[in-house]
Amino acid sequence: MSAHHHVSAPERTRVTPSGLAGRGRLATLFGAALCVLAVVLGFVQEEGMARLQHGWLLAVTFFVTLGLGGLFFVLVQYLVRAGWSVVVRRLAEHLAGSLPLMGLLLLPVVIPTLFGNGQLYHWADPHELAESHLLQEKAPYLNGWFLLVRVAIYVGVWTLLVRAFNRRSLAQDDTGDPSMTIWMQKRAAPSVLAFALTLTFFAFDMLMSLSYEWFSTIFGVYVFAGSAVALFATLVLLALRFEGRGELRGIVTTEHYHDLGKLLFAFVFFWGYIAFSQFMLIWYGDIPEETVWFQQRWVGSWKYVSLLLLFGHFLLPFVGLLSRHVKRNRSLLASWAVLLLLMHLVDLYWLIMPTLSPEGASIGLIDFACLSGVGGLFLGGLWRRIDGKPLVPLRDPRLGESLAFQNL
Amino acid sequence: MSASNLHGLVAYYADVDSLLAAVRRVREAGYQRFDAHSPFPVHGIDPVMGIRPTVLPWLVLGAGLTGCAGALLMQWWTNGHDYAFLISGKPLFGLPAAIPVTFELIILLSAFMTFFGMLALNTLPLLSNPLLRTAGFGRVTADRFAISIEAADACFESHATRELLAGTGALSVEACESDESSAVVPKWIKQLTMIGAAIALIPPALIAMERYGTRTTPRIHVITDMDFQSKAKAQSASLLFEDGRAMRRPVEGTLAVGEWIEDEYRATGKVAGQLGTGFPYEIDRAVMERGRQRFDIYCGVCHGLDGLGRGPIAVRAESLEESAWVPPTNLHDERLLTVPEGHLFEVITNGVRNMPAYAAQLSVDDRWAVVAYLRALQRSRNASIEDVPTDQQRNFK
Repeated sequence: MSAHHHVSAPERTRVTPSGLAGRGRLATLFGAALCVLAVVLGFVQEEGMARLQHGWLLAVTFFVTLGLGGLFFVLVQYLVRAGWSVVVRRLAEHLAGSLPLMGLLLLPVVIPTLFGNGQLYHWADPHELAESHLLQEKAPYLNGWFLLVRVAIYVGVWTLLVRAFNRRSLAQDDTGDPSMTIWMQKRAAPSVLAFALTLTFFAFDMLMSLSYEWFSTIFGVYVFAGSAVALFATLVLLALRFEGRGELRGIVTTEHYHDLGKLLFAFVFFWGYIAFSQFMLIWYGDIPEETVWFQQRWVGSWKYVSLLLLFGHFLLPFVGLLSRHVKRNRSLLASWAVLLLLMHLVDLYWLIMPTLSPEGASIGLIDFACLSGVGGLFLGGLWRRIDGKPLVPLRDPRLGESLAFQNL
Repeated sequence: MSASNLHGLVAYYADVDSLLAAVRRVREAGYQRFDAHSPFPVHGIDPVMGIRPTVLPWLVLGAGLTGCAGALLMQWWTNGHDYAFLISGKPLFGLPAAIPVTFELIILLSAFMTFFGMLALNTLPLLSNPLLRTAGFGRVTADRFAISIEAADACFESHATRELLAGTGALSVEACESDESSAVVPKWIKQLTMIGAAIALIPPALIAMERYGTRTTPRIHVITDMDFQSKAKAQSASLLFEDGRAMRRPVEGTLAVGEWIEDEYRATGKVAGQLGTGFPYEIDRAVMERGRQRFDIYCGVCHGLDGLGRGPIAVRAESLEESAWVPPTNLHDERLLTVPEGHLFEVITNGVRNMPAYAAQLSVDDRWAVVAYLRALQRSRNASIEDVPTDQQRNFK
């Protein structure tokens, strides 16, 4: 649009990171070791198995939601044929690339349900099933084998989408074939539909069914909102990282950070809007079977975690990110991104952990081991995917528009 | 063309880069009242032209905060303070319930301020601009870029300014004449507006007449308010229920909360089916005061506040010479001085002759309080000086 702003396409070698593969292997080794440590602690500690399963679920869902956020970003860019975002889209593609592995890591919490282990999912406990009429009614859906099938479908769909989109995007770097973009644009709408359905039911199955007697139809949207917040925070931090290293210097500009900041701000508000929508209807309806879920999160120190979310995940970042100047200031934006990424973790912790320690919030060594273990595997995969590939879609038809992008 | 009707000069350019360069030159030459025109928004032209960031975001923030405070205050005032009304056991002012309205009002006022504030800051709507009458200006909406300098600018000097613009690489420089046509609103528009306003007043006037005038036929309900409600009134028929009655009987074998009284005498005035004597609970000053109050409300209208049977209804019925009227009993009647208290309670509960039952209006204990007060009333007409407390006796001598 702005004819006076001419930007030439960057050179392949300059935007291709190298030397990350070694670091990736190190992270994978470190992560695997910590995962082993977490399992050992789970066996050794008193009631460690229950905490191990909860901690593991927390860690895996945290990184799965990051990957889902990345997939969402990629799909939506093709869906709306966005031009500005091309320079940061590859980062989101790499984040989405973690989904196959992270999806596989869900198995350690799914498989125990097959053997009647109800330490994480109480509905899997045969005694619970025998005593609860409600659970008997829900059993055709809530049973171990069907859960395994569903999770396989979710992860299968994600893997297919990630492969279809990432492969073509990478292939376009060499061929410059615009038909790749057109192919993806055509598939973006049904893909978003598949994404929305799998994410919603993933949230129902892995998170909402922790309290199997409780239900909220907006729950999937809530988890999605949190995932999007985490994604934009991560994109900001990753872009800054590679701007610092040099690969994205002069390519991802203040204008792109401004737009990422706007999206981060928008989804902070969206998260608050959805969280409040869920809360207010339940508060107003005042039906015990619905209010119990919030009551559990208002007991003891859970109350402070709830308030931390209200202020840390919504009110403070809302005010903090409101100004244009903040969104255009790299270090301020990065600070909010770090806080929001942390808050996404707290959000998932708040969703998962009350079933483990209903009397109040508690953190164990196992939680840290799981988080850094799975985190190591995630980062290891991410660095190895990034290594040796251009960090910018070099011959994307809209790259020029993205490079020259300016906010009004 | 004289200098007096010159509005300004317009210079045309072929592309954005020459426009930006020209703007820079014009500004360096000290001009203040100039503007740049282009078919699309030009990035970064604001600082070149010396346009400061707009104050609009602050206005919008102020409007949003006003909406927030106004909505919360309004909801607190209406529901929590001025007309405190308990809704499904929620707090009178519950923040979660107030959020949606607050949110919407923040959005509404912010959007209004954004839209109308933008118009106001741009002095829009501007119905006419002399530039639009300039021959070449039409292309600015298609493929031309332009700078206009107003003649009102302090630096403006017809010849020198034209030289300056020509020297910035302009394709051409055109003079723009002031619009000399009258700015007065034409008479016919004024007249039409007045006629329109008068016609517009007719429907509300008709509505007001229908609504508040004297009529022999039923009123037209433009806004029905609560004139018609889909509710069943007491003692009326209803198709909703099988027995066709709007009022419901209690479910068989149940009692309303507070209806169950274990003491038979207290509940019925009878002991083993026989009318009893005395009171089932202790009578103190508070009970007596309650009894007096209930008596004055429910009994006094017929029996009179003094119990002589000459209450306002009785007086009125006699003055109308109602033939079917049965005069109320004189409560100081010899017979009533000696009946057991259970009898009085039973009569209040179930009614007697023309007197209706008062069980629906008076609770069990209220009926006993009325009996107690009635006993005191009867005694007051047969009292001796010994009944008066010693410290009060001298008042009666």
